[in-house]
Amino acid sequence: MEERRASKRCGGVLPFIIGFLATCVLGWAVLPGLFYEEIEQPFKFSHAIHVESEGMDCESCHYFRDDGSYAGFPTNEGCAECHAVDPEEAMEAIAEAGIDPSDYNAIIAAELEVIEDNLLSGEDENKAAEREYVVKYLIQSTEVPWLNYQYQPDNVYFSHKAHEGLDIAELAEMKNELSSVVDSAVFDEPGEQNCNLCHMKDIDKNDTPPAFERNIISGYSKMTMKMWKCERCHALKGQPNACYTCHK
Amino acid sequence: MSVARRAFIQMSVGATVGILFTPTVWTLLDDVSIWTQNWPWIPTLKYGEVKGVPTVSKMCESGCAVKVRTVAGEAFGTEGNMDNPLSGGGICPLCANGVQVKNSPNRIAAPMLNGEEITWEKAEEVLVDKLAAAGSNVAVISGDQTGTVNELLSAVLTGKQSDKFYTMPCDMQVSDRAWTGLMGGSGQIGYDMENADVVLLAGADAFESWGPTVANMKAFANNEGGKFIFAGPMQTKTASVTSKWVPVPAEGMAAFTLGICYYVLQAGKSVPASDFDQFKAMVMAGYTPAKVEAATGVKADQMAEVAKQLLSASNPVVVPAGSVAANAAGIALNLLLGGGMKVLPEFAAAVDGAMTRSEMLKGDILQGVDAEMVIIYEANPTYALPEQVKAGFTVAIDSVNTETTAAADLVLPSLHSYERYDDLASPYGVASAIYTMGAPVSKPASGAKDARDLFLAPAGLDSESFAEVIEAKVEAIGADMDELVEGAAYVLEETPDMSGVTLAASALGKAAVPVKGTGAVGLAPYTVLSVGTANQATTPNAPATISNNQLVGDNMVVMMASVTAKKLGVSVGSKVKLSGGNGECEALVQVFEGVLPGVVAAPLGMGHTVGDEFSKGKGDNVYKILTVSSEAAAGASTWAGSTVNVAKI
Repeated sequence: MEERRASKRCGGVLPFIIGFLATCVLGWAVLPGLFYEEIEQPFKFSHAIHVESEGMDCESCHYFRDDGSYAGFPTNEGCAECHAVDPEEAMEAIAEAGIDPSDYNAIIAAELEVIEDNLLSGEDENKAAEREYVVKYLIQSTEVPWLNYQYQPDNVYFSHKAHEGLDIAELAEMKNELSSVVDSAVFDEPGEQNCNLCHMKDIDKNDTPPAFERNIISGYSKMTMKMWKCERCHALKGQPNACYTCHK
Repeated sequence: MSVARRAFIQMSVGATVGILFTPTVWTLLDDVSIWTQNWPWIPTLKYGEVKGVPTVSKMCESGCAVKVRTVAGEAFGTEGNMDNPLSGGGICPLCANGVQVKNSPNRIAAPMLNGEEITWEKAEEVLVDKLAAAGSNVAVISGDQTGTVNELLSAVLTGKQSDKFYTMPCDMQVSDRAWTGLMGGSGQIGYDMENADVVLLAGADAFESWGPTVANMKAFANNEGGKFIFAGPMQTKTASVTSKWVPVPAEGMAAFTLGICYYVLQAGKSVPASDFDQFKAMVMAGYTPAKVEAATGVKADQMAEVAKQLLSASNPVVVPAGSVAANAAGIALNLLLGGGMKVLPEFAAAVDGAMTRSEMLKGDILQGVDAEMVIIYEANPTYALPEQVKAGFTVAIDSVNTETTAAADLVLPSLHSYERYDDLASPYGVASAIYTMGAPVSKPASGAKDARDLFLAPAGLDSESFAEVIEAKVEAIGADMDELVEGAAYVLEETPDMSGVTLAASALGKAAVPVKGTGAVGLAPYTVLSVGTANQATTPNAPATISNNQLVGDNMVVMMASVTAKKLGVSVGSKVKLSGGNGECEALVQVFEGVLPGVVAAPLGMGHTVGDEFSKGKGDNVYKILTVSSEAAAGASTWAGSTVNVAKI
């Protein structure tokens, strides 16, 4: 009888609180991480080497075409301007060596001159990454299936050209209003270009690309900007938020 | 209730409330809602540079100069080529769907021998063996009017001592028979509609199916002050935009044209032809307005009015179509008027032993083809000429399944226009000798090869690919390969020798007399490109543009004037059977006063038994009920004058 009374007194609150706190902790700290799987980029591409060591700038690969469309990721055609391994010559050498062109490990192990002599990297780790690109993609005439951290679905039309003129310094005035949309740190050291507003901050200094975090339910990137963020910024900037603005 | 159980429930309630204070549930709902938009069967876009790559399309009879729209190198659409005068930015309904046809499941994937897939090596072996066994009894039927591939195939025949080269029946052929056959001319006739001030389209459905339709439409659009008159048995789309429609039965077009010649001669026009006096006497005696009116039903005052407009024009042109006689009469009228008719030179050949274009057009396929071996290149005679072709062994070359490939012994899949080198040399009707070339835009479909390469050795060439033949052609005509690849056209500014040209007076006098079949009503077959042609069935997307005046459901629609319908005892929606030639067709009736009384207008190009979902089983095949008659005086065969009996069912 004593036990039952005790239970009636505090048993109605304590289990509730325990359950409440437990799921709060799980829901804030544990569960969100379980929704994502990490996927590595097709090979180790170092922005740092290309930008800092080779003196390239963003527009070398990520440029606007003559018609105003945005090139996005580089293609083999662009990469081959520097990584000058001739696919035809390479395939001939692979055939002469009796190697299956789809057996990448065998091609790498064979250390074919036509490939090795045209690698540009110095350090072994970088050379291995470059070799992987050349063997798996360049000589196979297969475009690199880059993983887009800012992936947007097909029903969203995003024009880089329309956002080209956004100035981080000007936007800094709306720093507080934009705090849920843009990482506030972006406003601390505004760069020459506004890429950091939406893209991974200081990606140009990155040596090993971070893993792509893919939502296991939706398939979207963790960094995919949701519609409400687009709308928030559009509203703050006095831009239209009609459906057809982005859904053409 | 035990303590543990109560506590568990209380903790569960707490947990449920607690989770609602985290983003987990809301994020999960959001993710699930996005997940429902991403089913695996929803196609995804390909991203990359969007380009417009110039090339040529061979799906319509004249061919189109196009730009294939690509994204990341993959074709997804077709548009006109603004830089090429054949297009001027326009495109025909068939070629507009080139990419859809290229990607169609109706493409032929591999060579076939008697319905069984074989390797390319085996196909070449069979081809070579059969060619050797056939000796000189080999024929070629080409559905390509303008390509250098005809040089290649005709050179194969020349090497075999055969002259059996046939094209599918076309306006180019009847024009050539009139010009080089009856009138002693050389080169190819063209018509400058853009710069003419009066254009008489004497049967030429120029904005829908005659000649280079896209260039014709551009000429019409650019000719702001010109007056266009259409003469024919029905008010076609062309007639709907011209200033005037003169109803003339197809078999009476030659007589109608000579009736206009009467007024022109009466006005004192002449031409330095050796038989001018004979021609004038023939017209003034045999084709007086009264006689023409009696023979064709066209009022004399209508002919007088047309003649008056042509005579008052500074640069008139008459564009004939139909029979050889109608073409000869039209050319003669143009020579008298001295207006916008042009004579185009032929481009230099690239293949030794190749026939000239005129030689290729001499074979009369309507009289029948009978050979030990028949090679059919991108043509569909089994559909359009079901009784005319007899062969011991048939080789069909095409990119898609057709009635002809289904019936052939050996099928060689050809590359689609966008996957190969191809060219267009002076499509019939253009005002100047013009050459356009196209390089591959897309990679060949899986398993596809260039079937034309198999004929290089039989033609006596040591080229490794047909692309080299195209290169040789470009060099032979003196054009710039780079400019052609960029989509520009090469124009040859020469005029063939006109001396010795006659007005074909003796032949025309007899050939222009209207000859009609014995059926109850005249048949006016007409072509609408969105419906298809003799060689090309309708294409994906095109059926959406086919009018209820051509197709309702799966039923073909024929049109007739109300007086004709009354005479036949039918009304709108009646189902009728049309009997003519050696065949029958079923159709629904539509009443349209734009059809000459006593005539039924029926659309060509339907009723396919082989093909894709867009063409197979749609409507009926009007080619079955066409009657081949002999133009004895012109030495040719014609479908003009076909008649049918109509029975309500």
